[in-house]
Amino acid sequence: MARPLSYQDATHLLRRAAARGRKEEAQKLADLGLEAAVDSLLQDPAPAPPYRTAATTNEKGLQHREITQLWLSHWLTTPTPAAERLVLFWHGHLTSEFRETQGTQAIDFWNQFATFRQFGYGPYGELLGAIAKNPVMLLYLNNAESKKEHPNENWARELMELYTVGPGNYTEQDIRESARAFTGWTVRMPQGAPRGKDRDPNVGLEYVFNPRWHDPGDKTFMGRRIKTGDEVLEILIAHPETYRFVGRKLLAFYLNPNPPQPLVEEAAKVFRNGGTRELLRWLFTRDEFYAPEHRASIVKSPIEYLVGLHYAAGEGKVTLGQKDDDKVAARVVNAFAAMGQIPFDPPNVKGWDGGMSWLAESPLLVRLNLISTFAGREKKLDLEVFMDGADGPLSLVKPEAQLL
Amino acid sequence: MDRRDFIKKSLLTLALGQAAPSLLSRSALAAQSKDKILVVVNLFGGNDQLNSLVPFKNDLYYRLRPNIAIKRESVLDLGQSGQNLGLHPELRPLMSMWDQGNLALIPQVGYPNPNRSHFISTSIWHTADPTRKEETGWLGRWGDLQDDPFCDTFIGGASPQAVTGDKRAAPAISGVDSFTIRMPKPFEEAMEREMAQVRQGPAEEVRKAMLSLRGALDKIGRIRAYTNKAQYPDNSFGKAMADVARMIAGGLGSSVYYTTLGGWDTHAAQPTRQQELLGYLAQTLSAFRQDMKALGRDQDVLIMVFSEFGRQVAENASFGTDHGQGGLMLVLGGGVKGGLYGGEPDLEDLELNALKYKTDFRNVYAASLRWIQADAQKVLGANFQPLGLI
Repeated sequence: MARPLSYQDATHLLRRAAARGRKEEAQKLADLGLEAAVDSLLQDPAPAPPYRTAATTNEKGLQHREITQLWLSHWLTTPTPAAERLVLFWHGHLTSEFRETQGTQAIDFWNQFATFRQFGYGPYGELLGAIAKNPVMLLYLNNAESKKEHPNENWARELMELYTVGPGNYTEQDIRESARAFTGWTVRMPQGAPRGKDRDPNVGLEYVFNPRWHDPGDKTFMGRRIKTGDEVLEILIAHPETYRFVGRKLLAFYLNPNPPQPLVEEAAKVFRNGGTRELLRWLFTRDEFYAPEHRASIVKSPIEYLVGLHYAAGEGKVTLGQKDDDKVAARVVNAFAAMGQIPFDPPNVKGWDGGMSWLAESPLLVRLNLISTFAGREKKLDLEVFMDGADGPLSLVKPEAQLL
Repeated sequence: MDRRDFIKKSLLTLALGQAAPSLLSRSALAAQSKDKILVVVNLFGGNDQLNSLVPFKNDLYYRLRPNIAIKRESVLDLGQSGQNLGLHPELRPLMSMWDQGNLALIPQVGYPNPNRSHFISTSIWHTADPTRKEETGWLGRWGDLQDDPFCDTFIGGASPQAVTGDKRAAPAISGVDSFTIRMPKPFEEAMEREMAQVRQGPAEEVRKAMLSLRGALDKIGRIRAYTNKAQYPDNSFGKAMADVARMIAGGLGSSVYYTTLGGWDTHAAQPTRQQELLGYLAQTLSAFRQDMKALGRDQDVLIMVFSEFGRQVAENASFGTDHGQGGLMLVLGGGVKGGLYGGEPDLEDLELNALKYKTDFRNVYAASLRWIQADAQKVLGANFQPLGLI
């Protein structure tokens, strides 16, 4: 028998899953009942529009603004917004920084987001395998230049510290040995496509294995004798700590910044056996998910804040409430910078710390100052899903407006 | 607010707000002049010591770094007291401070059982606890003991662990000029009403953040009148330090200012990147000292620069270097005893291709805490002999 879902709980579910919503959508979810509502949210992602640019290879700032607008508009208009909040999670977890990654163009970052969409709901091992061969990641963590003579350790280290087993579960020796195993994993332009200065910014890089750079010798990794980077990934994908470490991060993103330990253990098992969609289905259909101590317990990130606010105002594009002229994109990126979260550009390889750090004096001030740009459109504003306790536009200055 | 604070504030309000007679503004600033100030600069990413403080008379250095070593002829020779070491050419603005004896260079600073993770090592530096049991920052613990919410200030987006204690974190101000609230009247009034209503859980945390923002807006509003007397590089670090100078000049009253300059994680193409960053660093520090001199505060301000680790000795195949261990600290200011605190690194005695640490960073912290008359033993949890920098 289908379990009921109250309207109040539906607003919480929609806010957490998708970070955007309006009254009628919450009502529709409530009418479906719990399981069907969760299934409808966790559908396969609708494809994002392709990115085409007239910018030159050197105009990276312009390209960055273009993909930022493209992504936010997609999030605001897609029938599968939960998939986009999950893209944000993977982007903050399997990080790459636009401005720090030499040799890439916006198209490469847009392709990386497509990979997050394609594998995001599936088994973690498949996503990790795809990202290990993703051109942006290979360039960001310098594996693309890693050669047997002097392996570059950057990717090998972060792979274990941040992307899989977490600190305390590997040694410096494991880093050095796995760095040897990944030598030769690099990138190229597709055959026939111009490269370097003549590169077409509408053609993306691809992965290639360069046997001349690869160290084919035996390596000892986590006590096992191995040769290749694929074997390193296999060991990490089979490692139970990977699912505890990443599963905890998922719970912190979807349930509570400090998820209860027994729940983390259970989540790790579901995650390992069924992948990310099964983890989310399990979470969203549990009574605990709707408990008062978890409701509105997460601080909205700046992206979630702006997407939620624009959707609540019935807008399909992030304009900061201003006229949609050619300066909007620059204003949006500046506002994100001032709030501490630039899309495609996390501050470092660990991603965004989030939590109360979003509400330090300066970034909080920017959030509050943005409210005035919505003055005059109060009639369109539907804050039912955006926040708890809304009663009219002035509610935007309530503390609850900052919570997800 | 204690009495002295009260007088100072009233005078400043007069002085800055209403074009008070110069006599008044002088006495307002004089009330502060006894106070010592610590400015901490965190170079996030792991600055490479060997290409900053270069062992340019050591052939092994050039053999281990065939592509990225700093050319012998371009190194700035530190002379007799520099013990065969010299500075990266982009650090030229610091040379006059070295000559005047108020730049301290401390090579191979680290801690026992070094950790090569950016985040773990940064956290160890921030908590001053290599055993990783402590969660509060070293300056956060000091701040917990103070009454003034502005006893320390972070210049940037969100206060780091170093200035976060059990009870509070340093206010985070990313820029003096942009720090104003712009809101239609009905919203402003609604916000006042909402801030007066106590809540529970996360919503209460948000309410407190709003209250602390309101306090900061009042404070920063009063110091905006001061303009810098020196030319800073036009980048975020230059702007941050220019704002520190304005905060000091305007009498914000913080004993500690903390800021960050990132980008030092030079796994690839190190020479161009590090050169650019060292340039920013040196030009900004030089401008800041000039500003402090113009204010008559250079003797009161001690600047301490650190990075979470140094980098490995032999270069990698991408014209870069990977994470290492012991790294370089700089301490400078009118009241600093300059010189080299430590010696030429031994490039033959390495640990997994990294320099071993020689000086514990907590000995340097202890000196900086003494500077602001803080109880170093209480803050650091043990007795660390302060390095003789002051």
